[in-house]
Amino acid sequence: MSRIEGGLIDRSQTFRFTFNGKPMQGHAGDTLASALIANGQKLVGRSFKYHRPRGIFTAGSEEPNALVELRGGAHQEPNTRATVTELFDGLSAKSQNHRGPLEYDLMAMTDFAAPFLSAGFYYKTFMWPKAFWEKVYEPAIRASAGLGRLSMQEDPDIYDKGFLHCDLLVIGAGPAGLQAALTAGRAGARVILADEDFLPGGRLNAETLEVDGMAGHAWAAQAVAELSAMGNVRMMTRTTVYGAYDHGVYGALERCTDHLASSDGKPRQILWRLYSKRAVLAAGATERPIAFGNNDRPGVMMAGAVRSYVNRFGAAPGKRIAVFTNNDDGWRTAKDLHDNGLEVAAVIDSRDRSPLLDIPGARYIRGAGVRDTAGRKGISRITLTDDQMVDIDCMAVSGGWNPNVHLTCHQRGRPRWRDDLCAFVPGGTLPAGMVVAGAANGALTLAAALAEGAAQAEAQLKDLGITPAAATLPRAEDEPGEAAAFWHVKESAKRAWVDLQNDVTVKDIKLANQEGFRSVELLKRYTTMGMATDQGKTSNIAGLAILAEQAGKTIPEVGTTIFRPPYTPVPIGALGGRARGRDFRPYRLTPSHEWAKANGATFVEVGNWLRAQWYARPGEKGWRDSVDREVEMTRGSVGICDVTTLGKIDVQGRDAAAFLNKVYANGFAKLAVGKVRYGLMLREDGIAYDDGTTARLSENHYVMTTTTANAVLVFRRLEFARQCLWPNMDVHLISTTDGWAQFAVAGPNARNLLRKVVDEGFDLSNEAFPFMACGEVRVCGGTPARLFRISFSGELAYEIAVPARYGNSMMGVLMEAGKEYDAVPYGTEALGVMRIEKGHAAGNELNGQTTAHNLGMGRMVSQTKECIGNVLSQRPEMIRDDAIKLMGFKPVDPAKKLIAGSHFIASGNKATMANDEGWMTSVAYSPSLGHSIGLGFIKSGDTRKGEIVRAVSPVHGVEMDVEICSAHFIDPEGERLRV
Amino acid sequence: MSEFHLTAEPPLAGYDKAFAGASLKAPADLALVSIALPLGGEDAAHKAIKAAYGCALPEVGKACATPRKTAHLLRLGVDQAFVVFEHAEPDAERVVAEALKGAAYTTDQTDVWVALDISGPKARDALERICPIDLHDDAFAIMDLARTTMEHLGVIILRTDEERWRLLSASSSARSFLHALETSVKNVS
Repeated sequence: MSRIEGGLIDRSQTFRFTFNGKPMQGHAGDTLASALIANGQKLVGRSFKYHRPRGIFTAGSEEPNALVELRGGAHQEPNTRATVTELFDGLSAKSQNHRGPLEYDLMAMTDFAAPFLSAGFYYKTFMWPKAFWEKVYEPAIRASAGLGRLSMQEDPDIYDKGFLHCDLLVIGAGPAGLQAALTAGRAGARVILADEDFLPGGRLNAETLEVDGMAGHAWAAQAVAELSAMGNVRMMTRTTVYGAYDHGVYGALERCTDHLASSDGKPRQILWRLYSKRAVLAAGATERPIAFGNNDRPGVMMAGAVRSYVNRFGAAPGKRIAVFTNNDDGWRTAKDLHDNGLEVAAVIDSRDRSPLLDIPGARYIRGAGVRDTAGRKGISRITLTDDQMVDIDCMAVSGGWNPNVHLTCHQRGRPRWRDDLCAFVPGGTLPAGMVVAGAANGALTLAAALAEGAAQAEAQLKDLGITPAAATLPRAEDEPGEAAAFWHVKESAKRAWVDLQNDVTVKDIKLANQEGFRSVELLKRYTTMGMATDQGKTSNIAGLAILAEQAGKTIPEVGTTIFRPPYTPVPIGALGGRARGRDFRPYRLTPSHEWAKANGATFVEVGNWLRAQWYARPGEKGWRDSVDREVEMTRGSVGICDVTTLGKIDVQGRDAAAFLNKVYANGFAKLAVGKVRYGLMLREDGIAYDDGTTARLSENHYVMTTTTANAVLVFRRLEFARQCLWPNMDVHLISTTDGWAQFAVAGPNARNLLRKVVDEGFDLSNEAFPFMACGEVRVCGGTPARLFRISFSGELAYEIAVPARYGNSMMGVLMEAGKEYDAVPYGTEALGVMRIEKGHAAGNELNGQTTAHNLGMGRMVSQTKECIGNVLSQRPEMIRDDAIKLMGFKPVDPAKKLIAGSHFIASGNKATMANDEGWMTSVAYSPSLGHSIGLGFIKSGDTRKGEIVRAVSPVHGVEMDVEICSAHFIDPEGERLRV
Repeated sequence: MSEFHLTAEPPLAGYDKAFAGASLKAPADLALVSIALPLGGEDAAHKAIKAAYGCALPEVGKACATPRKTAHLLRLGVDQAFVVFEHAEPDAERVVAEALKGAAYTTDQTDVWVALDISGPKARDALERICPIDLHDDAFAIMDLARTTMEHLGVIILRTDEERWRLLSASSSARSFLHALETSVKNVS
C-alpha cells in the first residue's frame, strides 16, 4: 500500500473495487487513479500502437495513458480515464489493449518491430493490392490496434438534455473561477459555475498554498459553501463545459450518476445547453512533459500530478522519487514530497541555476537532463545526460504549464505565444461575451489568478449594467514560476515519446517533417499526434516545438492545430439524449388512428404522421391483395380514407381573394362562395411548388388545403408573403390541420352513404351540391361539419370534415352507415393506385424540378395577373416544345411490372445518359385495368402518344418496352366525378 | 334525429397524474379560438374585445385573465390572439364571433391544440429539460407567454401561477408531447 497521511479523502468511508478482477480498497474522494496508486498498481494499460506498458501519467482530464474499461455487461464503458473516474463501492475496472494478461501482453512483440512502424507506416505499407484494403488490411490493423471494447449491447442507461440561462457563466472552479463567481454572485447576478471535477477548487485542492491565511482547499470549500447558499448561483460539479458556440451558448456535460453504482432509473448524464450573457473562462492550465528516452515507463508522471496525488489524495506514486524540471514549479513537487516524508532522490533542472529550494537528502543536478530510463513494468533507474544513474521508482517531470485556451478557439480564435511563459495564451477574437481569467489567461500564480478572476468578473458585470459589490481580494502569494523553453533531451538515443496516447515519438515528428508534412495540421494527420480522447492536451506543445526546431522556425510561426469541441469526450448516448426508439422524434396520429388499429391497418410513416397504408383482411396473402380489393370496392361502391394529414390553412380577410390570386398561379379572384378550386403554386423561379384545393366558405373566409408533405412549408411561405411581400393586404392565416378530421368518401355510392350521415335539411343532390361545391353542414344530429365535393380518386367523391375530437367516432359512423353499400376503408396505397389511374400528380411528380408546362398544366399559369412564379415560368428554356411532359405508360407485355425510376430511351438507341429522354415517376398495378401502369416525364410526350420506348432500370438490370399513353387511365372525360 | 351519434375523444382526455414534486393534467373542455385583428380595423377590434371580455388585449407575449375569470386572452402577435375558455360544445368559434360582433376574424383552434398543465415545486426543473425559454422569475413572470419548441414540437407556454405553467401543442402529436413532459417530470422527481 502506498497510502500516506493527509489529503482530502474521507477515510471513514472505505470502498471496495476491482482492477482486472483483483480486489482493492479506496476511500470516498478518491479517483480510480488515486486508488490504484494507493494500492501500488503502477501498470494500468498498454499503449495504442506498440503495446508498451503504461502507467498513470496525470491527475486530470488530460490523461493520455490510464484508459480503462469500467463496469460490466451492457454497462461496460471503454476508454474511460481513470484520473477522472470517481471511485465508488463496487466499481470494477479492467485494463485495455492487450492479449493475454496485462503483465504479459502477447501483442507487446509489436514493440520489437518499432523500427519499421514509423510515422505513415500504414500509408506506405498497405497500398497494394487494392483488393486487400477492406478485406485483409483493415480487419488486421483494427484487431491489433485500438483501445477498449464496446459491450455490443444496447446502452441500458438513460440520458437527458436541458437548457439553462445565466448572466455570467464561469467555467472552472479553481481560484480564478471561484473568485469570479463570488464577485458576480455577491453582486446579485445570475451565475452558473461549472467544473469538471467532483470537488471544486481546482489546483487549490492539490497545492499547499494558503489563501487568506488558511489552507487553499479550505478557502475553496468556504467559497463553495458561500456560493451554494446563494439563490442566484447554480453550482454544477462533475460538469464539463465542452464547447463554446455562437451567441454565448455553451455545451456542457453533467455526469449525474457516474460516481454511483447504479443510476437508479435516473439520467446518467445530462447534456446542457447553457445560454449565457457573458462568460469567464477559468479553465486553468495543463502541465506538459519533456520528451526523453523511454519516458513512457510506468512511474514517469507529471510533477504536478505527483503533487496532486500526495497532497489531495494521500497516495504516494513512489517511495524514492526524482524530479526533472525546466521551471520553478517543478521544485514545489520536490518540496511537497519531502514534506510528506517521501524520499526525493534527485532534482534535475535543465537550467543551469542555483537550487530554488532546499530539498534535504536530494541530489541536485543542474543544467542537465534525463537521457534514458530502465525498468521492465515500471521505472527503476534513470540515466542522466552526464551519464550519472539514479535508482528511483517514480519520476516527476515538469515541462511548464500550458493555459487551457481550448474554448477560446472554438470560433477560430488563434492563441498568442508568450515568450515569458513559453506557452500559448488566448488571442485573436474570443467567442462573443467571453473573457479569460487566471491560469487559462497566463496568470499562472495564485494571487494573480484570484485578482484576475475578480477583475474579469467585475468587467463583465459592468458590461451587463450590474454594479459589483465592494470587496477585498483574498490574500495570497505569487509563487515563483520562471520557465525555460526546453522541450526534449537531444542526447536521448532511445525513443522519446511526445504523444503517449498515440505512440508518437520525437523521431516520428522529425520524419514527418522530412517527408514534407510541415504544416502542423498535416503533421497531426500524418503522425496522429494530438488525436483521440486526450486531444493532445499534454503533447501538443512539445510536438510543435520539435517541428519548429526541425523547420528552423519559431513555435508561433508553426502555430497550433485548431481546437474544436468537445474539450473532453462526450458519449454518443448523451448526444442522443432521450431521443431513442419510438420517441426518436415526435409522431403524429390521425384522428381515426385507434379505429384503424382495431381494424387491421398496417401503418406507414409519412413525414411524422402514421397513416393507414392498407387494411388486411383474413385470407389475404399480401399487401397487393388488400390494396387491389380496396380499389375495386371503392370504385365498385364506396370507400373511406382518412385524409386529415393534408395541410389546412384558414385564410380570412378583406383581401383574401386577392391574396390567393397572387399565391396561386391559376385564377382565384372570382371563385364563388360555396365553391372549391384546384390550385397550383409556383416557386418564384417558376418551378411547381405545391398543389391543393381552396374552398370559399364565405365572402372573406377561405380554407386552403396543401399536400401533407408541404403543409408547414406552404404555411410559412404564405406568412412570408403576407408579412413581407404584401403587408398592406388584410389577410390572416392560421393552421387548422389538426383541428379537423377529414375523410374522403369516394365511389358511386358516396352520396348515398353521406345522406345517412348528413343531417336533414342539407340537399346533397347533384344539382344542389355539384362537383366542386363546398359548404358547412351538420352531421349525426347537429355536429358541425364541412363538406367538399372533390375527388382525388376520380370517382363521385366528397371530403367531409368534423372537429378532430369526433374523428375516431366519425370513421366508425361512416363505416356503420356504409354497411349496406359494403363500404370499405382504404389506405394510402389504394389512394395512390387510384390517383395514378386517374393521372393526378403527387410528390413524385411535384419533385422540385418540374414546371406546370412539364405537368401538362402550362395553360393554367395565368399571364394576365401578378402572381408568384408566372414571370419566370415563361423563360424560353422552361417552355420548350420538346420539354419533358407528364404522360402515362403501360407495358407492351401486360404481364410485366413497371419499375419507378426507370429511364426512357427511344427505341433503337443505346441506354446512355446522352439518350435519356425522361423517367418513370410513379407506378402501380391497376386492378381496374388488370396490368401495371405508370406515370412519368418524357420529352415531347404530348406528341408521342402510342410510341413504344424502352424503360430501362440499370439498378435492377431490367428493361422493357412501354407504350406512351394518356396519364388518365380511367374515365378520361371525368364523367364519374359529376354524376 | 340522426340514427348515428358521434362521441368526442379529445387526445389526453382525463389525463391527470401526480409525480413526486410535480403534477401533469390535461384540462377538460378547454376551448381555444383565435382572433385576428383586421388591418385598419384594429381600434374597432380592440374596442369590441374590451366590450366582450371587460379587459383590453394584453401586450404581445402576455396573457390576462378576464375580470370575471371566464376566459384567458393570450396575445400571440401584433394582430393575433387566442381566447381560451371552458366550453364543451364544438361551437366555441361561434361564441367568440358573436361576442365580438364581427369586429375581428375568428377561427376555431380547440381541436388544433392539446393542453397540459404542469405544476408543483419540481415543475420548473422538469421544464428545464425541454424548454429553451428562460423560465426564471425575472424572465418569465405570471401571465407571460411564449411560443417555442420542446422536443421538436411547437409549443405555446403560459405561466399561470408561481409554480404552474400551461403548455399548448399540436393535438396530432399529443402522445409525443405527453411523453416529453412525463419523461422530464420522471427524470427530475
